[in-house]
Amino acid sequence: MIEVQNLVKKYGDFTALHGISFKAKAGEILGFLGPNGAGKTTTMRILTGFMPPTSGVAKVAGHDIFDESLAAREKIGYLPETVPLYPDMTVQGYLEFMAELRHVPNRKKRTQEVLALVGMEHRAKSLIRSISKGMRQRVGLAQSLIHNPPVLILDEPTIGLDPAQVADLRSFIRDLRTQHTVMFSTHILSEAEQICDRVVIINRGQIVAQGAPRELRSKLNLGSRIYVEARGRADQKALVNTLSKVQGVKFAEPYQNGVVVNVKDNKDVRPALAAAVIENGLELLELRPVAITLEEIFLEVTTALGAEEDA
Amino acid sequence: MRNIWTVYKREIRQYFVSPIAYLVMFAVLLLIGLNFNTDLQDRANFEPADGTVVLSTFAFLMVFFAPLLTMRLFAEETREGTLELMLTMPIRDHELVIGKFLGAWAFYSIMLAVTLVYQGILLALTNFDASPAPLQSELDLGPIIGGYIGIWLFSGATIAIGMFFSAMTENQIIAGFLSMAVLFILWVGDLAGLLPASIVSTRVAEALRVISLQSHYSTSFLEGVVRPEDVYFYAGVMFIMLFVTTRLIESRRWR
Repeated sequence: MIEVQNLVKKYGDFTALHGISFKAKAGEILGFLGPNGAGKTTTMRILTGFMPPTSGVAKVAGHDIFDESLAAREKIGYLPETVPLYPDMTVQGYLEFMAELRHVPNRKKRTQEVLALVGMEHRAKSLIRSISKGMRQRVGLAQSLIHNPPVLILDEPTIGLDPAQVADLRSFIRDLRTQHTVMFSTHILSEAEQICDRVVIINRGQIVAQGAPRELRSKLNLGSRIYVEARGRADQKALVNTLSKVQGVKFAEPYQNGVVVNVKDNKDVRPALAAAVIENGLELLELRPVAITLEEIFLEVTTALGAEEDA
Repeated sequence: MRNIWTVYKREIRQYFVSPIAYLVMFAVLLLIGLNFNTDLQDRANFEPADGTVVLSTFAFLMVFFAPLLTMRLFAEETREGTLELMLTMPIRDHELVIGKFLGAWAFYSIMLAVTLVYQGILLALTNFDASPAPLQSELDLGPIIGGYIGIWLFSGATIAIGMFFSAMTENQIIAGFLSMAVLFILWVGDLAGLLPASIVSTRVAEALRVISLQSHYSTSFLEGVVRPEDVYFYAGVMFIMLFVTTRLIESRRWR
């Protein structure tokens, strides 16, 4: 649905994108991940036809975004980072205007549908200037869905929302997957891990890693981790020493009331760890795997890249 | 066409919900009314009635009030971030520009149409002996009809110029101030010939007069003469300004 090849964007002397390539299949949620200023918004603006790339090809739903711009734009629903609303219009008036611009047949009915979808029916007649930030975000989202586009591009949709609203929005985006290809950007890594089928990590205009969150984890060979908590006469330090010696363990470090053990090559060392604890006369209280978060993957790849560049 | 209509409808509706539009309309109509009244008093039983006073006042006020209504057209959308969305809609840039222009022009046309009330008053005064202050002779309709056509075209040109400045900056105040200054210069350019030749050479004065917005209605439309060259002039100003504005909007994509 989305196809990007060797996209380069230069603003004067500054190169925002150094030839990035990625794809998103139909019905996929693609997380676009990176720190601020990495080139996320630039990429999205190119994909939505807001601005052309310096070089490279971008296709949405089979249409080249530059050569068949209008056809491509019809297939896209876009929510920019600053939610584009007219404060003097009512929620309903705004959505009907957007529907008209998008040539949606049966505008009134469709407007009611999307209002229901984002749960804003009760504020349909309110002026946009009078509704809260979270509601504005929902109206913005409704706007991007009004023409039922095959591709949705959302630029940092969860920014500035309270935790409950963020959770709501995330589950909403997950539900969209059945009918839409969703590409959304974020710099919150756990967010991408939660919702995305695939993640593209971008930094300084370059893609540093891409794949399914799970795939990324194994690709980067981070191994797995296990949290062990035990009770007995030995202190935390002793436990660290004991567990480090178990075969297959890369290293162990104290964490909260217990110890986190880093394992080489995804070996299952749980029985050996349990045995080691008991052999030392300790009572095993807890033994559970700790998921490696995208935060860590992200830090790993970006610092690795930074080190390469510095070298 | 359809997209232009969509943009146009929103734009004209926007004027009727914005306080500044009502303020401008109030101020313009009040000032025209005062001027009309004074002029009428001066002429009563003395000179024939002149319907073009309303029009020349309207034109003069446009120089200062048109920018107040055109300054928001693009500047506001740029600042609010809605322009980014508009430029990713399946509409062409020129459709957006033309739609906005027509919306603003329509609002002015409504304002201009309201001044027809004064022509009605003049008609009543000149045609009914029973009226309290009968004016001498009949009302000359030629300059009035010509005048409305001319001032309508003139207002289109001022709006096109104002919109151009609105597309140049995201600051409404700057947009408004720049268009006010430019409109004023283009409007008084007509009078450059009155300055001594040592300050402004006759050739420069003539050039200024030719591009002056005022000279193309004051000596033709307001006399009841519709000259093609004046129509072309205003149509040309509108066309060029719309074209340049479209290019300006397009250029945002390249920044």
